[in-house]
Amino acid sequence: MNKFRLLKENISCLRINIKLPFLIFYLFLFLFSLSACVSHLKEAKHYYTQGQRFSRLYQTKDAIASYKSALREAELEVKKNPSAQGYMLKGMAELNLELWEQAEKSFLNSFSYGFEKGEEWAQELSLFGLASSLEALGLGDTALKIYSYLLNKSKLRAVTVSAAQKYTDGILKRALQKKAKEKQKLLVAAFKVIEKLTNKDLSCGFYHYLQSQIYSHLSDYQKSFEEALMAKELGLPTLEIFRDNDLQIVFCYQQLKEKLSVEKWDKFLYQYKKWVKRWGWKNPVTPGWKKEAKHAPIN
Amino acid sequence: MGKSSLEKVVEEGISFLSKIFPLKTYLYFPLLYASFIWAIKRVKEWKEEIFSLKVWLDPDRIEMKPDEFILNFFETNPALNKTYEAEIKKKDLVSLRKNFFRLYPIIGLEDPFLSALFYEELKSGDFEKIVKEFEERVSQAEKDIEAFNGKLKLLEGLKSFANEMISLNLDLFSQDKVQDIFAGLIKKSLMNNDE
Repeated sequence: MNKFRLLKENISCLRINIKLPFLIFYLFLFLFSLSACVSHLKEAKHYYTQGQRFSRLYQTKDAIASYKSALREAELEVKKNPSAQGYMLKGMAELNLELWEQAEKSFLNSFSYGFEKGEEWAQELSLFGLASSLEALGLGDTALKIYSYLLNKSKLRAVTVSAAQKYTDGILKRALQKKAKEKQKLLVAAFKVIEKLTNKDLSCGFYHYLQSQIYSHLSDYQKSFEEALMAKELGLPTLEIFRDNDLQIVFCYQQLKEKLSVEKWDKFLYQYKKWVKRWGWKNPVTPGWKKEAKHAPIN
Repeated sequence: MGKSSLEKVVEEGISFLSKIFPLKTYLYFPLLYASFIWAIKRVKEWKEEIFSLKVWLDPDRIEMKPDEFILNFFETNPALNKTYEAEIKKKDLVSLRKNFFRLYPIIGLEDPFLSALFYEELKSGDFEKIVKEFEERVSQAEKDIEAFNGKLKLLEGLKSFANEMISLNLDLFSQDKVQDIFAGLIKKSLMNNDE
């Protein structure tokens, strides 16, 4: 009897001994897969933050590469472990890569997994995508209405900024074809729309840049200069826009030189020279990055 | 006479690109010069803080510039003023606007890739040729670069080329001078290869 019990105990011990490596193996496998899931999400977040940092430093190519990596990681994450956070991150990466339709789907998925704002964001993207398609089909007026709606309603900054750009471009394009009075009316209305955005988000240099462009069309060079200066100080999203803004500053300087009274000009020039020094420009009409004109202009 | 470090780095850059684009020698100068300029910008703007969100470059914006801006662009640049004297006098904005679309990114914004792509025309002041050939040459360059599959390899190669250039303190020279140095060295290196 005792022998039998001993044998039974030995066998169960052996079973445990045989099971133990398997258990450890499964435990490792579980932990490994868990850590892999965590690392995809972690990696996606890491790349997304990196993308945002590159965007702020005008490093567009690197920013795109980072957002693509974030998207790849987020895709792996939602494949293995679909979640509201994973889909939200995927949508944000797609948003930054201007993959509007994919981003819309991702936000809808994030909504179905419990992210409340997901549905609203998806709707905004759906509208933005629709406006872009309408614009491409030549239905600019309808597209403009949608952009205007998004400017007032959108909660997504990326959508608001893109809509502001599209809206301003659309208005300026129309203004160029209108006669003076109509042009003025159109530009003033557009200016108020962008001004509202600036008041909501004063630190966005791009909104100031758009305001400066509208003022330039209204021939108000003093205000155009002030807005361009704000845009430069706050920062702009790409090097091309940054340079274009610098050239707007130079253009305003040249226009004001012709248009201001001597007294006002002297006052302006005094301040302008201080800015030129601060920015390290070669001279009042040559930003640091620009080639110097070899001869004075003929006229 | 032995080759300078600068020549060696440029030759390495050309040798790298010749493996990727063996038949597209016209791309060597724009690609090498543009990657060097971007690398300098990165160093200089590293500490700059900006708060706004990214908006990818939209060339459409160039089309929206007001007439006064376009006129000013042609008037204040001596070489352009000379070439387009008649149009400026007549204030022929239709013609000037058409030319502005092509010339502003190169002469105004000084895009490093475009200014290297049209280096010869810019040197000789043949702006009409730039306007005439802009579309075709730029889209050809885009197609050729796009056709290459290993973009990461290309970017990495250009990056290491640019970093080597920076280590030679070439960024202390003006952009103008650097462009001339690059153009001369690349031309020389390509001619040597032909021989």
